[in-house]
Amino acid sequence: MASVQDAPPKVVLAGNPNVGKSVLFNALTGAYTTVSNYPGTSVEVSRGFSTISGTRYEILDTPGMYSIMPISEEERVARQILLDETPHAVLHVIDARNIERMLPMTLQLIEAGLPVILVVNILDEAKRLGMHLDLELLQQNLGVPVIGAVMKRKQGLPELQQAIENYASVPHKTFTYGRDLERDIEKVVTEIHGEYRLSKRATSLLLMQKDSDIEELVKASENPESLSGLNAVVKYIAFERRADLLLQISLERRKICKQVLEGVITQVDKVTEAFSEKLSRWTMNPISGLPILLLVVYFGLYQFVGGFGAGTLVDFLEGYLFEGYINPVVVGFVEEYVKIEWLFELIAGEYGLWTLGIRYSVALVLPIVGTFFLVFSLLEDTGYFPRLAMLVDRVFKQIGLSGRAVIPMVLGFGCDTMATMVTRTLETTRERIISTLLLALAIPCSAQLGVILGLLSPVPGALTIWLVFMLLVFMLVGFLAAKIMPGDPPVFYMELPPMRLPQMRNVLVKTLSRMQSYFMEILPLFLLAAFILWGLKMLGALEKVVGLLSPVVSAIGLPVEATSAFVFGFFRRDFGAAGLYDLQTGGLLTAAQLTVAAVTLTLFVPCVAQFLMMKKERGFQVSFAIFVFVSVFAFACGWVLNKFLLTTGLLS
Amino acid sequence: MICGFCGKEIPDEIGPGEENNTCGSCRGGCRKIHCSHCGYANPAPGKLLRKFLHKPAAKD
Repeated sequence: MASVQDAPPKVVLAGNPNVGKSVLFNALTGAYTTVSNYPGTSVEVSRGFSTISGTRYEILDTPGMYSIMPISEEERVARQILLDETPHAVLHVIDARNIERMLPMTLQLIEAGLPVILVVNILDEAKRLGMHLDLELLQQNLGVPVIGAVMKRKQGLPELQQAIENYASVPHKTFTYGRDLERDIEKVVTEIHGEYRLSKRATSLLLMQKDSDIEELVKASENPESLSGLNAVVKYIAFERRADLLLQISLERRKICKQVLEGVITQVDKVTEAFSEKLSRWTMNPISGLPILLLVVYFGLYQFVGGFGAGTLVDFLEGYLFEGYINPVVVGFVEEYVKIEWLFELIAGEYGLWTLGIRYSVALVLPIVGTFFLVFSLLEDTGYFPRLAMLVDRVFKQIGLSGRAVIPMVLGFGCDTMATMVTRTLETTRERIISTLLLALAIPCSAQLGVILGLLSPVPGALTIWLVFMLLVFMLVGFLAAKIMPGDPPVFYMELPPMRLPQMRNVLVKTLSRMQSYFMEILPLFLLAAFILWGLKMLGALEKVVGLLSPVVSAIGLPVEATSAFVFGFFRRDFGAAGLYDLQTGGLLTAAQLTVAAVTLTLFVPCVAQFLMMKKERGFQVSFAIFVFVSVFAFACGWVLNKFLLTTGLLS
Repeated sequence: MICGFCGKEIPDEIGPGEENNTCGSCRGGCRKIHCSHCGYANPAPGKLLRKFLHKPAAKD
């Protein structure tokens, strides 16, 4: 059995969120960690091991903290680790670009008597901004080891490992505050008699700031006589300084940091703001960001996906290649060799594997999702999406979400099923349910979006009505859901990656990977859906299903033939959209009907795969409730829109 | 691999071929790599594409 003496020395990672602690943890331990679902929100503590020059160390990654005086639960946990684990070394990781802002915590850690090694990370970005840091001088000023690093490239890792290995606890420097504050600290220090992991000086400061955990600790450690004396002194100082103590401590620390940093930071040259930085700023500013978003939607989605993908490419593949050459050959071949009617129907009939499975997936859906994924990968490679998250953060807060929810929402435009799984990365259950609902309701997947853009583009006004209606539904349902499920507004912050020119190789690889992945996913499902539809048709059940749905479809002003698109849509959203494409090309829908069908089908029930994912992620009750709500709401919206279009005469 | 959303490095241990670290939602093998920092689903090249991509890298 291992004894305490056998336990490896511990190395604790501490620091603000988004400074690269997890990357450093991975670099040291070589292990994959699930510590933080999102930058800055590590809710669990990860432990791993690292062997440096034959000595095995236990590495602990703490949640992000801004100060050793905790405010949040995460900070409380992080401080508890620092106090309880008796670390061999505490690696305080900071972002070189924000060294002035982060250094006060280094002072606190040193003041607490912890064995601090300062890791100045993200030096490359600081250098890019023209900052030069004299880390040797900083080490001299602080009196603790200072290591410069670019942890994502493992730069500085060997030096850090050496610093851990050679760490020798030496008396820490004392950073002196103003005279009156020092006098008060001294008064408290002399009243402390117990033994604490934190230095007496740090304990005094925390007591003066009324840190409840430290108060409890002191209560348990001091004898009754000294405790009453200590309490009286602390109470007196806290009362005397009730107006400005926290502010004074903070200002004094900043003053010390300024002194410590004197001569450490040099701005090498005056950096003029690069165009990429200007563009980055514009994309996040609501005044310029919204027009940029509209340009992206117009050229990226409307013109390229809707016009080129769903128009030109589909016309070529479906209208020219399949209709002109491939279909006649395949159908002719099956007609000649397959004389059994049910088998012919299964292969090349109205709901046959070829007709619905292969043709829909290859000729209709693939060119659309291909063009969509090309635009998507292009935007992704520029670093636009995190800026979009920042842009919509304020709006999303109104619907109980934060900018972080942009990730599943953006992914939903690719595939809602995958996006539903990604909702697990959101922080609260409330956010997860709201985003799952909105994905099921108002976010069309790539194929659906492409087909709808392609179908509505030629009809003046139809696309605008569809877009406005979907935005209204998204906001209204989100707003109501946030009201029904009250909770604190989520907090969102993230470190922005630099904006850059997309690299063609990256874009192509990502596009091809996504297309392949998508095709592998939809082809078996399309074939299965075709098989089920064929089975239902052969058994005469399809007519009954269509018969059951047709009154509802008629009520929203659509022809009975449109019912099949909704039945298809249940199997896959994109399958339903392809069904709608067939109806339109068959000349069965007017402009108003097409718009109503597009809106209803977009809002219509999540497909089977998405429902199963919802059930897996949110449980049966929530998923079923969403399913029922979405089904009823979709047709209700279709009915309202139909009445609106008939009454106003729009699109007629 | 760098995450397409947050720009942070995804540990090499995650990804295609590393069965222990897949979430298991892709039929027929891992095709999406979920970033351990932000959860974003990054596309993973299929076997064929990986082979093709591997060639120029081998020259370095």
